[in-house]
Amino acid sequence: MIGIVVVSHSPALAEAAVALALEMAGATPPPIAVAAGAGDGVTGTDAVRVAAAIDEVASPDGVLVFMDLGSAVLSASMALEFVESTTEVRLSGAPFVEGVVAGVVLAAAGASLDEADREASGAMIAKNAQLEPAGVAGAATSDGPGPSANAADVTLVNPLGLHARPAAAVVAALAEVDADVTVSAGERSVSAKSLMGLMSLGAGAGTVLHVEASGPDAATAVETLRLMAENGFGEMEG
Amino acid sequence: MTVPTETVSLDQLVDWLARFRTLVTANQEYLTELDSAIGDADHGANMARGMNAVAEKLATPDAVDSLFKTVGMTLVSSVGGASGPLYGTFFLRIGTSAGPVTTLDAGALSAGLRAGLAGVVARGKAEPGDKTMVDAMAPALDALDAGLAAGEDLASATEAAFTAAQAGRDDTEDLVARKGRASYLGERSAGHIDPGATSTVYLFEALAGALGGLQE
Repeated sequence: MIGIVVVSHSPALAEAAVALALEMAGATPPPIAVAAGAGDGVTGTDAVRVAAAIDEVASPDGVLVFMDLGSAVLSASMALEFVESTTEVRLSGAPFVEGVVAGVVLAAAGASLDEADREASGAMIAKNAQLEPAGVAGAATSDGPGPSANAADVTLVNPLGLHARPAAAVVAALAEVDADVTVSAGERSVSAKSLMGLMSLGAGAGTVLHVEASGPDAATAVETLRLMAENGFGEMEG
Repeated sequence: MTVPTETVSLDQLVDWLARFRTLVTANQEYLTELDSAIGDADHGANMARGMNAVAEKLATPDAVDSLFKTVGMTLVSSVGGASGPLYGTFFLRIGTSAGPVTTLDAGALSAGLRAGLAGVVARGKAEPGDKTMVDAMAPALDALDAGLAAGEDLASATEAAFTAAQAGRDDTEDLVARKGRASYLGERSAGHIDPGATSTVYLFEALAGALGGLQE
């Protein structure tokens, strides 16, 4: 499992971002280390602390580093000079909160360094798409599998719909499933393996999602999603 | 043309750092005032805190590389803002360039400072004209090298570097910031002197003072 390092000027900001991410990461979160603040209670960043944090969570799968702004980026890049571990370390250009959430969730689901970074870095695309009028959003849209694929229409029955936690659960459940899975709401389609993509659908309670899958495990993928939605992603009362 | 045979001792290098600390702490309020116009109003406090931390660790260095490694790492861990990794990289690169020696001749000093500048540029990705410390440091090193090439002694050449750094700092007033926090302000960053270029002037004022220049 890849390790996650969170670099911020503010320990409070970093801890809160990690707490938010952990709410969505399920029972087996990745190793996470925070490097926030500098000196004694100084707002800022410290490259030595960042290096220590990287070494703390280093594993052969690599370490993905999320930074807030300004000197956080400089300190993280300088930290690469001080790191003792030889594992691959990637500094993610993802926006801070979205990046930490996506990185932690994807890491927990067993994603590789490349996958987790790609997903986290795409967070602004998904967010911007969500703010555009329906049908205009292009960036998160995919062509989807061909007509012979497995497909189903599923209705969101839980009160909050496909918000962050269920979206994370879907991504985790499908992580090991060998299939391309597309979820559509209205005219928008996204990959069911993309946390930010699923969240960008803004699919609330009562929304009918069209699920299509192709590949060796296509049937499993569709059935998994159908069952999760039918059970309200474990969020139904009683 | 004579090749300067002067050398810079460890004591003089420590004096350089002590003078830099004095200038930074004496001008802490001014640096912060400059930074409050276009940055986050912490440059004075950050540099003073960093150099005060450095001063506590300067006891008796045994070599140029270990001296500047200590300085660089201390700044990295105590400054907090962007000037931590930037000045930290500057001093670390000087140490790496110099190696485990106890004196620097003029050429080695120049090479060390050049390595420091290259480190700052690589770290911050700033180019001349971006309204950063590079705008004071690059002309200062050009003036230093020009002076040495013309056969000047270190006192004169570092005085020339100080003068060039001041001119470079003054020129940042009209520039639009393209790096750092000030770049968020875009055109509104023009009309203000860059705080990082200003602290870099102190760096060269301190160097000239430590090497015998700036005598009235």
